[in-house]
Amino acid sequence: MTSATTALPTAVQNEEGLPPVVSQGPALLAGIGHGPGLHAHRDRIGPAPRLGAQELVELAREVDLRGRGGAGFPSAIKLASAARRRAVVVVNASEGEPASHKDVALMTCAPHVVLDGAAAVAHALGTREVHVVVPSELPSLRRIVEQALRERAIAGERLRVRLHDAAPRFVAGQAQAVLQLLAGRENLPVTARAPEAVSGHRGRPTLLSNAETFAHLGHLARVGAAGYAVHGTADEPGTTLLTLRGDGWDPEVREVAFGTPLTEVLAQDELTRPLLLGGYHGTWLRPGQLPGLTVSRKGIAAAGASIGAGVMLPLAQGWCPLVRTAALVDYLAGQSAGRCGPCRNGLPAMAEALQDLVHRGGPVARVEELCGLVRGRGACAHPDGTARLVASMLTRFPEEVDSHSLGTCRSGQPGMFG
Amino acid sequence: MSEHQLRVDWPACTAHGLCAELLPEVVSLDEWGYPIVDGSVTSEVLALAKSAVKACPTVALRLIPSPPRPQ
Repeated sequence: MTSATTALPTAVQNEEGLPPVVSQGPALLAGIGHGPGLHAHRDRIGPAPRLGAQELVELAREVDLRGRGGAGFPSAIKLASAARRRAVVVVNASEGEPASHKDVALMTCAPHVVLDGAAAVAHALGTREVHVVVPSELPSLRRIVEQALRERAIAGERLRVRLHDAAPRFVAGQAQAVLQLLAGRENLPVTARAPEAVSGHRGRPTLLSNAETFAHLGHLARVGAAGYAVHGTADEPGTTLLTLRGDGWDPEVREVAFGTPLTEVLAQDELTRPLLLGGYHGTWLRPGQLPGLTVSRKGIAAAGASIGAGVMLPLAQGWCPLVRTAALVDYLAGQSAGRCGPCRNGLPAMAEALQDLVHRGGPVARVEELCGLVRGRGACAHPDGTARLVASMLTRFPEEVDSHSLGTCRSGQPGMFG
Repeated sequence: MSEHQLRVDWPACTAHGLCAELLPEVVSLDEWGYPIVDGSVTSEVLALAKSAVKACPTVALRLIPSPPRPQ
């Protein structure tokens, strides 16, 4: 296999101002060495697939394809629900999470892999209405998508696409917030009355998934279930995209097969440090849990965590996981849309209680109380995700919590997480 | 026995607190005055729940029938 490594355009940057490195992958990222153009894409993989709704649903069911936005919802169920009259297709390429870059990386390096998926889904659902949501803070990505759409139009592969610019905030990529954006309202979450596959954009059945999910659907439609299962395990066929150290100094986007051991994903010294898995709404794991784990929804769920949208954040050398969590909750509190009372009041209170615990030996009971108070009490998953992060800190690092309660921090001492 | 669930439209709720006044059996208030819904609405308190839904100044409450219990 030839290897290709590419750095994203400099406009695609994380908070440290560094573009993630994207490596060639086995399926979705297999062609990035040939550039993002349509000609190279068609030369490599042939024409875009055209299947009926039933065929596509069956394929998705056969390989148990799950959405890659974080919740892991079965794509077959979503497709089957949306396969009704006047369906709408929405490709969400706006990652609100600052530590996730995989959708932007995929859209930048392989736009036609995503657009083939969108075209396949639109064809299967019998619709021509496709919306693509891009992050407004990356105008370069919008230009890449526009260029890709022009190439398709010239080649006679017209896909009627409307582009939308998502607001640069954590909750803007949430499904209901995206539907608000499409409707011309403020890009913020509202209470869902029904799943969007049943009643979404303008009350119509709406297949809203993130860019990676569409890429998998397109790939699956092209190669079939057996071809899709060339990678991965019998239980979890296929590949998934990961963002490693997405908010750190050397961010990286990789496509790996399900079943890949974490020892092949993380560097040796990263395996000796705590890992935040699933992003800022994710779950901490202790280093002792890492060597036995593989990239697997089920295996990671069995360890009490979730792979989420594939974000892996090893704790930086010498950092305390409590100090890091407190800083993240400060950020997350600031990212509340401020619409739901328990989130608007509860997250800043939680941030304060955590700072109090971590830096001044404040009571852990107050942190636990606030976790309980924000859970399930908002229009979107922001309060729940923040509570999950904090709860996992309390569960995984009880000794560290104890020492902070006594006003000391043991971080940086060798072997402390063993 | 049919039960109902009380659902809060969180962006709509502005913490008037009438629901907790009218239906203390199910609703209490958090430290900021927002409702904490604890448990289902049984048939005994269904009439009270309906009046709480009607009384909400921001129309932020909804009563929905509970799904059948899994056996």
